[in-house]
Amino acid sequence: MFKAIIIGSGPAGLTAAITCAENGLDVLVIDEYMSAGGRLLGQLYEQPDGSWWNGLRESKNLYTTAISLGVKFHFNTSVNNIEKRNNRWVVYTEKGTFYTENLLLATGAAESPVPVPGWTLPGVMSVGAAQVMTNVHRVKPGKRGVIIGVNVLSSVIAMELHLAGVEIACLTLPKMNSIANKEGNPSQVLDSLLHVSHMATSPLIRYGSKLLKNDFIKNLGIHFYPKKGFKMWNTPIQLRKAVIEIYGKDEVEGVVVAAIKANGEVVPGSEERIQADFVCIAGGLYPLVELAALAGCPFFLVEELGGHVPLHSEKMETPLEGLFVAGNITGIEGAKVAAAQGRTAGLAMAIHSGIKGLDTEIRHSMDMVKQTRESADIQFHPEIEVGRKRILREWEISQTSKQNHEALMG
Amino acid sequence: MNENVMIICRCEEVTYHELVSTATKYKCSARELKLRTRAGMGYCGGRTCRTMVEKIAQSMGTNTPTETNISLKVQPPIRPVSFENLGRISK
Repeated sequence: MFKAIIIGSGPAGLTAAITCAENGLDVLVIDEYMSAGGRLLGQLYEQPDGSWWNGLRESKNLYTTAISLGVKFHFNTSVNNIEKRNNRWVVYTEKGTFYTENLLLATGAAESPVPVPGWTLPGVMSVGAAQVMTNVHRVKPGKRGVIIGVNVLSSVIAMELHLAGVEIACLTLPKMNSIANKEGNPSQVLDSLLHVSHMATSPLIRYGSKLLKNDFIKNLGIHFYPKKGFKMWNTPIQLRKAVIEIYGKDEVEGVVVAAIKANGEVVPGSEERIQADFVCIAGGLYPLVELAALAGCPFFLVEELGGHVPLHSEKMETPLEGLFVAGNITGIEGAKVAAAQGRTAGLAMAIHSGIKGLDTEIRHSMDMVKQTRESADIQFHPEIEVGRKRILREWEISQTSKQNHEALMG
Repeated sequence: MNENVMIICRCEEVTYHELVSTATKYKCSARELKLRTRAGMGYCGGRTCRTMVEKIAQSMGTNTPTETNISLKVQPPIRPVSFENLGRISK
């Protein structure tokens, strides 16, 4: 029995663990990975003020702090089920079953797959996998790669690969099909990139946003988009080409790209081969909500947050007593926002377990989440604020109907 | 390689063509598409292909995702468990 159990040791989970421990709770953190940090581990980029955000270092600092406060960790441990029994949350893992009255799901996000013919060949990986290999394990994923999918995540990781001395032949779109619909449409891709203009870490985005402010210009932009693409850190970005096939006998040997029209249609006869020994697929991120679904938490589909997210309050509570959420499970945002949410969740868990006098602190922490969001270096969806408001409104509606119901039952 | 023969569900080796043609023929929901093709019913429990199966059903206009529900149910165990651990008598 632990006062608090936290599933996921990314920025949200670690910050929550520290906050719980600071308030006297004994805490267990469970993570499938072999070390603490989650997706924070792979992050390495220059911030607008010129300093470097080094996720490896940030992870280590958080982990060291947690350990010094007595937080227990189980790594290499997958949670395969959770349920509520006798007012306690039961957490099932291959290493044993754990119990708590305060359970935090900080499971983060997963990458959406985008299928391309040949994508099951060895040497094809998600762009996040290439990031982990390069920045965490310090192993180059290959000598020369192609990144399929042009978005915030892939442009940041392309830069990181470039810094590591890995050549990226190009960033380009996947051929449109029933699955890669938005991702394969140049107009829609450009549109999603334009909105994140303040994201100083990517010249790609600055390029787009300066030139293309309104729909008319944007339409011109996609039609007159340079056929050769443009270059970012010597890497060509192709919005008017798509990978129609990944080829190779036993492993990746290259890709076939073709020119595409502004609506994503392939121009026949325009196929050309690009040699590469690895391919990254970048389909974007979605909240990893499996455990919340098993618990029976209500969901809402909020596009701005990246998909279905569990209903939650600004204090990171779910409607299920003793179940909390923080980080990307609540919507796709950067690590700093996740950490700020983790702090709020940690305080909410301490309050729920009976610690008094934290009201001012949790209000302050909720304000910090907003401030952090407003000043974020990386924004994955332009309308994140709309999505956040949507969930809060749903929460208020659910609380009001709950109160009405209780009043009725007297 | 042709788009039609590309694998979507790796565990059960279900192709893009199988999924699209089944969705077209039966105009089915993501759940029905899963049950008809076995996509998402293999070893990994749909961790890789779940979003793709949902998108194919959506693209046919037959699976408008409900606001408050995930269209393919999540069931335990959500990670593979070895037979040794599954059958172990708890201490």
